[in-house]
This record gives sequence, structure tokens and C-alpha cells, in this order.
Amino acid sequence: MAVRQARRRAGAFSLGPFLLVPASLLVVAFLVAPLAVLFRYSFNRYSPREFMIDAFTLENYARFFTDSYFIGVLTTTVRVAAVCTVVSLVFAYPLAYLLARTESRWKSALVIAVVFPLMVGNVVRAAGWMAVLGNEGIVNHALLSLGLVTQPMRLMYTPFAVHVGIIAVVLPYMILTLQSVIEGIGRDVEEAAANLGAGPMTTFRRVLLPLSLPGVIAGCTLVFILCMNAYATPVLLGGPQFKMMAPALYDQFTRTTNWPFGAALAFILMTSTLVLTILGTVVLSRRMHYRKLEAAPR
Amino acid sequence: MTGQTIGRRALLGAAAGLLAAPATVRAQSGGRVVVGTWGGDYQDLLTANIADPLIRPQGIEVLYDVAVAPPRKTKLLAERMTRRGTFDVACLSDIDMFEMAQQNLFEPPTPELVPNMNNVIEALRKPYALPHIYSGKVILYNPDRMEKPTSYADLWDPKLRGRVGLSDGLYIQHIEAAALINGGSPSNFEPAKPKLMELKALGARVYPSNEALAAALNSGEVWATIMWLARGYMWKKAGMPIRHAVPKEGATPIVFEKAVPRNAPNKANGWRWMQAMLEPSAQVGFAERMGYVPTVTNAPLPEEIAKEISFTPEEQANFVRVDYQYIADNNARLLDWWTREFKG
Repeated sequence: MAVRQARRRAGAFSLGPFLLVPASLLVVAFLVAPLAVLFRYSFNRYSPREFMIDAFTLENYARFFTDSYFIGVLTTTVRVAAVCTVVSLVFAYPLAYLLARTESRWKSALVIAVVFPLMVGNVVRAAGWMAVLGNEGIVNHALLSLGLVTQPMRLMYTPFAVHVGIIAVVLPYMILTLQSVIEGIGRDVEEAAANLGAGPMTTFRRVLLPLSLPGVIAGCTLVFILCMNAYATPVLLGGPQFKMMAPALYDQFTRTTNWPFGAALAFILMTSTLVLTILGTVVLSRRMHYRKLEAAPR
Repeated sequence: MTGQTIGRRALLGAAAGLLAAPATVRAQSGGRVVVGTWGGDYQDLLTANIADPLIRPQGIEVLYDVAVAPPRKTKLLAERMTRRGTFDVACLSDIDMFEMAQQNLFEPPTPELVPNMNNVIEALRKPYALPHIYSGKVILYNPDRMEKPTSYADLWDPKLRGRVGLSDGLYIQHIEAAALINGGSPSNFEPAKPKLMELKALGARVYPSNEALAAALNSGEVWATIMWLARGYMWKKAGMPIRHAVPKEGATPIVFEKAVPRNAPNKANGWRWMQAMLEPSAQVGFAERMGYVPTVTNAPLPEEIAKEISFTPEEQANFVRVDYQYIADNNARLLDWWTREFKG
């Protein structure tokens, strides 16, 4: 009785909800409020002489959806994000599995090696790729030396360079997310599958992949969002001709000073990222659910 | 015992003194000046020719806010309603400065505030900013690969297919050049569009920065471009195989200007900076290293440098007169066209 009363008293003066106040205030002040202002701007009208005219018009959104150029920019962004997500998943899975399962004394060193690129900024990494992919870069030098080409191949300022650069940026996130999930899957499950006659591919397809699907979903979500919002890599490796959404909206804000249209682009990018991420998560979650139903004893 | 204890008043006084100390030190030391500028060589030269010899001896601390021009314009616009902005001095090109001045962002300079502005070349005077340095738009070409061009039209020669490089940041300058050879004028860039599409069909390449274009010129990937004479001077000094040609359509001047924003936190120091930048020693320093011509009449250049970076009286008389209002009104539309049609 006394314990219950004490609990009730403690409950009455619980500080729990109040502990959320500072973080919530920060989020409201530095994220929600600026977003609200930006959202309002997206309904304003642009004028070269007056800069921004207060209005409430949908013309910025209408301009985007009726303009094949900007639809193309969004399509390119989604395509690049999807390709980079899938490729990084394919590249990351074996490495994540190795990291999760290895008992080598080098495991810590391997994890540090995976994390190490995150310590270098995107711009610096892009500069490194410029040295590799440039006309006088390592790749072209090697190709010329081996006599495989007679003049340098154009690798910089191409979609290929952008894909390579973005995958290099997001790969560590995918590896670390998958590794933590695979580590939670007992090795005995794989051994049981092997005992029942499943080969490595069957074990992967029927056991490991379904069990690691939460990690795949988390990794893909994280990486897809990062790819959709990539800025430095497309600008530095894609060159002036290659346009993705983040550089396009930055151009609207800084080069043309068309803030209303830039704000509209920002919200279209944010919304499309959110919708596609939710859609992908729902599809993969359903797949995971069906797998569980299939695997359940009948 | 008396005199050995710290009284309440003494303690409060000491605390107040400590709190006021940074402000006092700053006031005694002349305060600070925040300069919004480009980085690299330009910033180095600001330090070597203005900050170190002329501003710091006045006890003024110099801080740089380094960025390319577009973020600086964005910051000026974003802060336009605030009481205290970031910059005491904002550096922009003449075209960008005009665009920002339309929003009434800058304090007008006066000879009382900046006595050296009496020496500014008459043609470069503006009511909202002071000119720091200037140069002109010319053709840079590789003399080992091609004949000296005489007109922008020479860049459309099929013999140069795939060898003309253009810097993305100078899109307005490229559009203007194409307009001038296709019936347009400084107030009508529309004829540039079909002409530039011809150049695109001839394999002209767009480079994301002046530095990327310089690398292409140096490697022989590009044989000709449209660029500031001052850049050409710097690149030539660095050993690149280039010469310059003033087109018969006339060189278009580019003036790099500075202004004091209305919401500058240290306005007086902003004006001191403006006074210092117009000193002959500072002007000549920029000319020697960066190849930009002084904007004041009392800073004569050594003859060998003047020959390389200055324009003859005839060339000056043939300068293209920039229509800032036309560019400001049409910049967004032209950039849109450049991005979608020409680069796309």
C-alpha cells in the first residue's frame, strides 16, 4: 500500500515529460519555425526588382509540375538515389556480414576502416574522386599506360562519376546499419539451415536475408534519404550539366535569388523523399511480414 | 584588519569591470571590421595590401567571411530586415552589387566618410558602392594551336570544334558576347540564344569553375575562352600557354566593388576599410599580383605591368557599356535558359 502510494506520488510529480521540453523547444525554434517560414515563402511571388512579393499563389508549385525540365531533375534525383541505394546494399551486405561474423583480432581495425571515410567531408572526398577520375587522373593514366585507350576517357562531369561519388559517401552508413542487425542473428540459425541441407545461397535467401530485413529497411531508408538530398557530390563530380534537386534549389536561392520558387522546390524534394521512403518501407515491411507467415509452422 | 578584506562594493565593482573588459579592450583597440569576400588569392591580397599595412595599425581587428558571391548575396538578402547584419564591408561584382542595391541594402558613400573617393575614376562611380579593382572581358586563346582571334565570332569557327571552353559562372558574359555578334546589344540579349546553340552544336564545353577551365586550357583540352583579362594575366604568369585578344565588339568592363550595408555592425570601420582600399599602395598591390587595374587616378602602374593589364585609350573608348538594369531584370530568365537549353 505504502509502495503504491509512493509510486502515485512519484507519478504525480514525474519530470519525464518536462525533460522533453528543451529538445522540443530546440526543434521548434531551429527546424519547425524556419520550415514554416520557408513554406510561407513558397506561396510568394518573385520579382527581379522587388525580390519577393507577399502573395498566396500556387504558381511556384504549378510551374514545377508543368515544366518538363524540373520534372526531369526530380526523375534524375530519384533514379540516382534508387540506383545508389541498391548498389550500396549489394556492396555493403557481404562486408557487413564479414564484419559481423569475424572473430579476428583485426575486427576493430576493419570497423575503423569502414568508419574512417565518415571523418572526411563530402567535399574533400569529391576532390579525391576528381584526382582519380580526371583527364589526367589515376584511371586515365592507367588506361593510357596500358594502351587500352589512345586519349583520356571523359569520366569526370558524368552521371557515372556522380553515382560512384555518392555510393562512396553512403556505403559506410549501409555497412554499419546492416552489421549491427546481422550481429543480432545467431550463428546457430545458419548452422541449423546447413544441417537441414540448405546451401549457402539458400541459407542467405531463406534465412539470413529475411531475418536481416529490418536492417535492410533501415539501411535503405537512411541511404535513400542521403542520396535524394546529395548536394556536394553532384555539383563537384557531375559538373554544370548534371542537375539534381538539391543543387537546383540552391541555384534558385543563390544564383537567381528566386526564393519563392526555391522554397517550393525544397518542399517538393522533402515531400517526395518522405513519400518514397514511406512507400519503400511499407513494401519491404509487407515482404518481411509475408516471409514470417511463410516461415511459421502450419 | 581594515583594508585587508574585500568589501561588497569592491566585489561588485570588480565584477562589473570584468564584464565590461572585452568591450573596453575592443573600443580601445579600434574594434573590428568584418569583410565578406572571396577567398584564395583575393583574400590573401586584401590581407597583404589593405588589412596588414593599413587597417591593423589603426588597432582594428579584421575578420573575413569567405564565400563565393551567391551565398554572400543570399546572406545580405536574408539579413536585410535585421538590425545588425554580418558584414561591415560586402564585396561583389558590379552586376551583383547593382542587383543588391535595388533592395536598398547599402549606405551611400560620401567624400566626408571616404576622402579617397575623390580620386575614383569618374566612369566607375556609383551612388551605392565604391569600385575596388577592374578589368575587362577579352578572348583568351592558345597561340600554339590557333590564330589570334579578332572577334567573338571567331570562336564559332568550325576549326575550333570542341575546343572552346566556357566557365559556368560567367554565363551572363557569354550570353552578352553572343548577343553582340548576332544583332543584339547590351540591352537586348535575345539574339544570343540561337547563336549560343550554334556554339553548343560545335561542341563547346561548360566548366563548373574558372579553375576547372584553367586546367583545361593548360592541358590543351581547350584552346579558347571568354574571360577577364586579369585572369588571363594571372594564368599567363603561372606559365599557361595563353595570350589575350580584345574583340572588335569591345571589351566589357568588370568592376569588383565594395559597399557598407545599412545594418553593418561596425559601420565606421567599414568606411575606414573603404578609405584604405583606395590608397594607391593597395591598388598597385592588386594590379601587380592579380592583374586588375586601379580604380583611382592617383595610382600609376609600372609600365611593363600597365602594358599587360591595361586597355589602350582606343580600347577604353570602345568599352561595352553594361546595362545593369537590363541584366538585373533578366538575370533569372537568362540563367534559366542557360541551365536548361544551353547546358541541358
